[in-house]
Amino acid sequence: MTAAKPKTWLARLLLALLMTVTLLPFLSMFTAALAPSGSYPNGLSWPDDPQWSNFAKAFEVANMGRLLVSSTLIVLGVVPVSVLAATMAGYGLAKLTGGRNKWIYLVFVAGLTLPFEAVITPLYYEVRAFGLLNTRFAIILPLIGLYMPFSVYWMRAHFLNVPNDLTEAAQLDGATRWKEFWLVQVPLARPAIMSLTILLFLWTWNQFLLPVVLVRDPSLRTMAGALGAFQGQWGTDVPLLCAGSLLILAPTVLLFLAFQRHFVAALLQGSVKG
Amino acid sequence: MAGLKLQDVRKNFGAVEVIKGVDLDVEHGEFVVFVGPSGCGKSTLLRMVAGLEETTSGRIQIGGRLVNDVEPRDRGVAMVFQSYALYPHMTVYDNVGFGLKLAGTPKDVHDAKIRSAARVLQMEHLLDRKPAQLSGGQRQRVAIGRAIVREPDVFLFDEPLSNLDAALRVDMRMGLARLHTDLGATMIYVTHDQVEAMTLADKIVVLQGGIVQQVGSPLELYNRPANLFVAGFIGSPKMNFIEVTVDGVTDDGVRVASPLLASPAIVGQRQGMAPGDRLTLGVRPHALQLDDTGPIGGVVTLVERLGNETIVRVRLDGATEMTAALAGQRDVALDAPVRLGFAPTDAHLFAPDGKRL
Repeated sequence: MTAAKPKTWLARLLLALLMTVTLLPFLSMFTAALAPSGSYPNGLSWPDDPQWSNFAKAFEVANMGRLLVSSTLIVLGVVPVSVLAATMAGYGLAKLTGGRNKWIYLVFVAGLTLPFEAVITPLYYEVRAFGLLNTRFAIILPLIGLYMPFSVYWMRAHFLNVPNDLTEAAQLDGATRWKEFWLVQVPLARPAIMSLTILLFLWTWNQFLLPVVLVRDPSLRTMAGALGAFQGQWGTDVPLLCAGSLLILAPTVLLFLAFQRHFVAALLQGSVKG
Repeated sequence: MAGLKLQDVRKNFGAVEVIKGVDLDVEHGEFVVFVGPSGCGKSTLLRMVAGLEETTSGRIQIGGRLVNDVEPRDRGVAMVFQSYALYPHMTVYDNVGFGLKLAGTPKDVHDAKIRSAARVLQMEHLLDRKPAQLSGGQRQRVAIGRAIVREPDVFLFDEPLSNLDAALRVDMRMGLARLHTDLGATMIYVTHDQVEAMTLADKIVVLQGGIVQQVGSPLELYNRPANLFVAGFIGSPKMNFIEVTVDGVTDDGVRVASPLLASPAIVGQRQGMAPGDRLTLGVRPHALQLDDTGPIGGVVTLVERLGNETIVRVRLDGATEMTAALAGQRDVALDAPVRLGFAPTDAHLFAPDGKRL
């Protein structure tokens, strides 16, 4: 076996350093979560008497069961509608729009430059005017709209890479546009749709700003959004706060582990010509 | 089955006219090949017949029915694409049967048609595979099968063999010829390869710059090309051309001379020529023979020994070179002087405007 070259060792060292920097906050939170309730843990020190019951206590006190249901309902309201709308819009912009109508796509591109924070104030007044404040729809409907620029951009990019020959072959085979879309384009778009679904799930699950601003009742927010009220009640109990945060993180980490192949494919989509 | 009729068909892309008034009649059951260099408009014309491109003006009739404003799916055509255009997520069975599924064909008829096409194309063992698991030739057969099951009035082929290797191309070409014989279908085939055109076609349409240069049988185009372009495009190796001047008219034929010729050449009977007329002389490489008294003299610059024939490249004066395809295995040396001759009836004359005389 040949010895690794110095450059390889340097690369490995760099990777190890980056991994440490990435994992350190989570390790710190984990050790802090095991510290006795009410104490002030100093960071990366394993407690003499690890309090595993802190996780159960945090789950109970923060009403995590209800938050789980609330997050799930919000995700179910946002993700399928967003993915469906973006897939149809992406197909339309890629295959049915050209020439003088290209400006429609530019409107979505302009939307990409808009941060959520910039529109939160007018959004608050709009949602209030609709009478939706303090309901889950106050999160669902704005998120669908706010996700459209990226989602449409994503799906359009996929459909642009599908050869026009397939569209023409389907036309000659007798397919209407709708049939071509459902029977040919959507099955081919499965990887892009999966990737988009995963991304939107993550963004929705971890959504903090909109739930905190538009929904007063913590049990109607996302799990991440409930951290705000959680912190207010337990602001001085750092171990419990850390335990609660890790519980909120758990579903997304599990999702990543289950679908990591799709995550990587999503990030690499379009980087190599297939 | 039906024929095809194009009347003054034109196509503009913006201000650019790419098809400039094409008139064509295709009889039912004919195998017609559109041939020409890249950018000549042959694929555009095919796509207009298919309905994939709008016709700017003119009339397209399939089976006597005007189809200018008819959707592609309702024109009674089926197309085989250069890229095969198979649906990657469907099996071969589903690819071939997709059109039947859309048409709501009963399941037993659907299945019978797919299996019948698979039998004809010898791909019954491939029905459960997906396109990614097939070779190029197999994919092309699936694309053809997809066209066959729809029983169209007209089959359209857009350079279907250009993505295949040379050996497979020959096999597939023979397969297509057999298919045409078996089905008796009207077929329009686009290619830039004049060998495919010559071997497959009942009728060849030579296009250049969006204009039809000549329509005729392969041998008509080979023996009597209508102009310089057709003469140079059809035939391999390419026809040799020399600028000549009419030297005189004799009982044996017209005598032409050129600084590039070692001696004047007799080129057969032509009407209406006078001494001093400037023309282009065309001679096919296969018409040239070694002849110590021949009018063409030069130095051999290249010899290609193919076994059944010997291709010789001869440099005349200046930069002009001619190609001779000599039958058999000839003892011709590089850099050796050589004289070539040809029969007067094998000579082609073209007027200054490029048209055949």
